Amino acid sequence: MNTVKQIDSDDHLVQDMLAIAQSRDQDALNRLFDHYVPKIRAFCLAAQPGANLMADDIAQEVMIRIWRKAHTYKSETASLNTWVFTLARNARIDYLRKNSRHQSDIDPEYLWRDVVDENADPFKDAQQKRDQERIQVGLAKLPQDQQQVLAKVYLEGKTHKEAAEELSLPLGTIKSRVRLALHKLTIYIKR
Amino acid sequence: MTIHYHPSIEMLTDYAAGSLSLTHSMSIATHIEQCQECQQQIRKLTTLGAQLFTQTATEDANIVDLKASFFDKLRELDRSEGISSPVKEQGATDQTPSEATLPSWEQDYQVPKSLRQFVPFGYDKLKWMSLSPSVKIATLCQEEGGAQVALTRIKAGASIPTHTHTGDEITLVLEGAFSDKSGIYRRGDFITRDASHKHKPMVTKDAECICLTVLDSPIEFTGWLTRLFNPIMRRYHPHSNH
Repeated sequence: MNTVKQIDSDDHLVQDMLAIAQSRDQDALNRLFDHYVPKIRAFCLAAQPGANLMADDIAQEVMIRIWRKAHTYKSETASLNTWVFTLARNARIDYLRKNSRHQSDIDPEYLWRDVVDENADPFKDAQQKRDQERIQVGLAKLPQDQQQVLAKVYLEGKTHKEAAEELSLPLGTIKSRVRLALHKLTIYIKR
Repeated sequence: MTIHYHPSIEMLTDYAAGSLSLTHSMSIATHIEQCQECQQQIRKLTTLGAQLFTQTATEDANIVDLKASFFDKLRELDRSEGISSPVKEQGATDQTPSEATLPSWEQDYQVPKSLRQFVPFGYDKLKWMSLSPSVKIATLCQEEGGAQVALTRIKAGASIPTHTHTGDEITLVLEGAFSDKSGIYRRGDFITRDASHKHKPMVTKDAECICLTVLDSPIEFTGWLTRLFNPIMRRYHPHSNH
């Protein structure tokens, strides 16, 4: 039920993206702003609780990129949510790189490229859609402790090591929870 | 080409989540340019991240003011750049030197896209430091308080003196091949060694070998003569002075 609704609303957002790419439709941008900015801010605040200025900066940065790069987005190769997530993730990495103690001259743009695939392949695209649905459905069914660790890694931006310290659990436990979760979502298949 | 050695699933996950350090991320980004299998895995891991991302918040009372200032800023930006049609991003971010700008003699070697920020004009143009007649290294970058990324270039058939690590070391084969007691490593192979590991890599006889290395702290040579390198290596690694 939930899945169907989610996919419908995504279609609507993709239409807005097209409207931006083709006719610089500011109303469409307005709707995308309402949909994504709360998520981008929550994503930033998860990593740096209370850092509202940072969250605002990153949210604006991502929205400007959406406005400017809308024409590069291809709905066949990646879902809009994935595309926006990668923009938010990259903007957060860049912000932290410039403003944290661990300053670095490594430019993240070279290391996390757009998920846009140069040679689109219909077979791969279908596979991609199936993976996405499987992950979406599977995630809701994961036990709480596994969901918690995934949230630490993805939303709070913690490494496995940091997640272990914070939850006062052995690193091995964190590793096995993540592995179990990834295994259930069929992301991880032991080589 | 089959790649036999890959990064751990933990590293891939941390990379997809964006929580891995930039120096280590550089080695993952370089590996996945060569490895379809890990590329596929990163795709799925990113989809998972996107899924968690979309489940965060649906509403946020703080965005009303933000939206007003955002649209002001956007108008300002669009006006100052005088654009009303879709624009291509400018600057270095999207434009890495293409193969055409590399000197012709280096076109055999394709510098991975992930390294072009630090290797814009091919391997030969880097500042190489000779450790021995057959071994050269060039530092690409380092994170403050973090690891160091370097390239090692070893002549065909030569070996690196036996050494141990004081921290973790990642080696990614970019060109050529080398072997040690545990196996043979070819282009694309990603090898992680920890401090307990003592090894003596040897390059295959057919071609020189270029590797990307990410070092948490300097390596220590253990041979009686090669121990002389240690002060050099320590000086060369920026975090060993203190």
